[in-house]
Amino acid sequence: MSQFAVEAHQLVKKFPARPGTGDRPSPAGRGDTGEGSESAPSPKKKRWQFWKKESKAIFTAVSGVDIQIQRGEIFGLLGPNGAGKSTTIRMLCTLLEPTSGTAHVNGYDIVKQANDVRRSLGTVLAGERSIYWKLTGRENLEYFAALYHIPTAIAKKRVDELIERMELKDRANELVEKYSTGMRQRVAIAKALLARPPILLLDEPTLGLDPQAARNLRELIAQLKQEGHTILLTTHYMEEADQLSDRIGIIDTGKIIALDTPAGLKRRIDQKEIIRLEVSGWQAYIGEKLLALQEVENLVAHRQAEADLWEVNMQATDSRAVLPKLVESISQNGTRLVNMNIVKPSLEDVFIHLTGKALRD
Amino acid sequence: MELVTLSQPNIKTQLRALFVIARKDWKVFWRYPLNAVSNVFQPIIWITPVYFMGKAFSTNGQATGFAAYSGSGDYMSYILLGTVLTNFILTVFWGMGYALKNDMDSGVLESNWLAPVSRLLILVGRTLTSLLTTTITSIVMLVIAGALFGFKPTGNTVAAILTAIPMLIGLYGFGFAFAGVVLLMREANTLVDVGSFLVQGFSGTNFPVKSLPYWLIPVSLMLPLTYGLDAVRGFLLKTNTLLPINVEVTILILFMFVMLWIGAQIFYRVERRVRTLGTLGQH
Amino acid sequence: METSLASRSLGQPGFLSDVRAFYAVLRREWTIFTRYPSWIIALFIWPLIFPMMYILTARALSGPDGSGLAVFITTTGATDYIGYIIVGTTVWMWQNIVLWDVGFSLRNEQMRGTLESNWLSPTWRFSYLLGQTGPQIVSMVMFIGITALEFGLLFGVRLNGSAWMIALMMLAAIPAIYGLGFAFASLVITVKEANAFVFLIRGMVMIFCGITFPVAILPGWMQSFAKWLPQTYLIHGMRTAAFSNAGIKELLPDLIPLLIFGMFWLAVGYFTFLWMERRARKTGAIGQY
Repeated sequence: MSQFAVEAHQLVKKFPARPGTGDRPSPAGRGDTGEGSESAPSPKKKRWQFWKKESKAIFTAVSGVDIQIQRGEIFGLLGPNGAGKSTTIRMLCTLLEPTSGTAHVNGYDIVKQANDVRRSLGTVLAGERSIYWKLTGRENLEYFAALYHIPTAIAKKRVDELIERMELKDRANELVEKYSTGMRQRVAIAKALLARPPILLLDEPTLGLDPQAARNLRELIAQLKQEGHTILLTTHYMEEADQLSDRIGIIDTGKIIALDTPAGLKRRIDQKEIIRLEVSGWQAYIGEKLLALQEVENLVAHRQAEADLWEVNMQATDSRAVLPKLVESISQNGTRLVNMNIVKPSLEDVFIHLTGKALRD
Repeated sequence: MELVTLSQPNIKTQLRALFVIARKDWKVFWRYPLNAVSNVFQPIIWITPVYFMGKAFSTNGQATGFAAYSGSGDYMSYILLGTVLTNFILTVFWGMGYALKNDMDSGVLESNWLAPVSRLLILVGRTLTSLLTTTITSIVMLVIAGALFGFKPTGNTVAAILTAIPMLIGLYGFGFAFAGVVLLMREANTLVDVGSFLVQGFSGTNFPVKSLPYWLIPVSLMLPLTYGLDAVRGFLLKTNTLLPINVEVTILILFMFVMLWIGAQIFYRVERRVRTLGTLGQH
Repeated sequence: METSLASRSLGQPGFLSDVRAFYAVLRREWTIFTRYPSWIIALFIWPLIFPMMYILTARALSGPDGSGLAVFITTTGATDYIGYIIVGTTVWMWQNIVLWDVGFSLRNEQMRGTLESNWLSPTWRFSYLLGQTGPQIVSMVMFIGITALEFGLLFGVRLNGSAWMIALMMLAAIPAIYGLGFAFASLVITVKEANAFVFLIRGMVMIFCGITFPVAILPGWMQSFAKWLPQTYLIHGMRTAAFSNAGIKELLPDLIPLLIFGMFWLAVGYFTFLWMERRARKTGAIGQY
């Protein structure tokens, strides 16, 4: 038995940049039972460029990822959209073939022993679209239980168990198309748990859920760890990663740029303090002025939901000393300091420290 | 605490997976009740103009022009049998690719692909319900259209059915290859519509291949389906066959083995390519 | 601090702007259409292969010696069986395409999520459907033109009548065919499984309207029913106009019922639309899918 639940070595994934093909409902055709489909049209080449030789554009989504996940730990893969989280997960669950590199899940090679890998995994990828809407919750679970080769007697008990646990009992026999998003997500999670897999892959599981549902899900994840599951979780919510993970890998532009426990990561910028300002009427030149100050580093300004209010984060070695200069630089020309906080560094600040940009888009 | 997976694959669970896939398709099919009913009656709708057109060319119920090509003046039996066979052919031929396209559109493809079952098993499973509904549809059509237009099979039913079997099995090979193409192109509708029309045209569903313009006949002769339809009709309706009937049956059996093997190879290769491109599940 | 707003919005309704809008919709539809790689098939291949099935069947029925054909000529009075069939199949395809394109136009907008935005704009809402007709007719004219061209070149099908008369027939048919499409568009939004209804309607046209055979061959009760379908008159009228050098007088027995049915179906289409719109306002169903 392999020491690690999941082990990846220099995983690389490169995509050729291709225009997509689309499907148009054929007008004279017989059609089918389901609804017609629409998809993105392929980009039209300009006629005069036709004779030019097309250079093969290659997009590197993942450029050499190394991961070792211990059995029984929750590993958080944290990074902004487009960082390569979903691509990494898709390679690990065998939906995507890596361009190079190797990985083992539960001791099985993801390319050569794909079927064994799938038997060892429970995966939640697309949430509500990953289950059959024209089947009931129960029927969905019974279907997938059979696909996972769970013997019938055991399957029946297991389905009942999971329906109970995911609080679907009242409506288990209604069609999924009538469920709320949260309920559909719970069915998707139950589906992942059916075969009691040693390893769970959860791709942005709380995305789109209301705060209460998200909280419940996080509690569930913690319980699942207690029950012995190893969990690989991707998210771009830093509080979630912080709260749940034993270790976190921060991924950006296809590379893991930091890997440590949450506390360990925060310690990296411990010497620094974080100054968090709320400013109205922020102008870019003020940011440049402040950055020119010796004590100030890594300034990131974020426009808030309310029209003219900006959140400005920066790191400073000695916040008390720099404060007067801050106030003076800001309170000019109609720019106003609304609020100010000096805080301990959070994971987001670690991220900013490492990459110079914010975690949220 | 050491977790042990509940997944225990063996022959029984493989068969059960097949059954469960078919059962799922059956349930989903009838949960669109109007479409299900429409499906059952569509063949009769398409056959009707053919019947009346035949009448316009016939005297006293005998299509003499047609008889010169086929050896029998019973036009409607010829057509009805051709339609039944073609329905089964289309189900296998295109059904798997079409099923995959639907899965891609609804988002459910990835969930199926993540399960530790063989892809070909999934594909075959997807045809089972369609074969059942096609059987129902065909029986309904033969009964109703038979009553309205006349269906007189005077030959050997058993031989006819036995001949159809290798043809259909061989078609699974083509169905696998087509399913792969659908995964890659993420397109099904146009290919299916145009393709099935052409297949019907060239294999003799609606008219004897012999009546085609001479320069098109070689295309028909290259399609194993042509011999399948021809042989089944030969057995059941005692029409003239293009080649001696034993030769045609042999061709079908050979076709079965060759096509199955090629089709599976193509599918696996294409599926691998799709996983490399990363477009699995997109639509 | 507020910036001063212009007291008038920039939109200025008027005839010219309507023409501009129409042209913009035309261009948009054409652009979207040609972005699907299969558009060539839809426009050039379908007009050819759909009728071919019936034409090849007719060839088979004629027999190697043409004996069957002789019967056909007696039954139908038409010497050119290819032309005879093409008229029927083209009308069928016309109605079929209208049912899908116009019929599902509102539903497609709903699925894309843009129906609401269109609904909120200050235009007469029915004009949205009417607006669909323009590009649709343009594409049908192309479709029919290509059919005529392909069969003329490949099979030597020749008109023995006036192109103007044919155009007149088609013009007269527009209210009926599109009225049906409008009624459909409104139903499709509210009904599940609208596909089944398209299959039903085009199935009826296929069975009763004589697309590949003369209606006279049908049993009596079916002929009576056929009289209630506008497509019957369209097919008969177009055959007369295309192949027997007819003038308006000969075409009146088909033109008049066609126009009457046209008015009927346009009215049905309009009132169904109103009904749907009122219902949607009560139930808020416009934004949902």
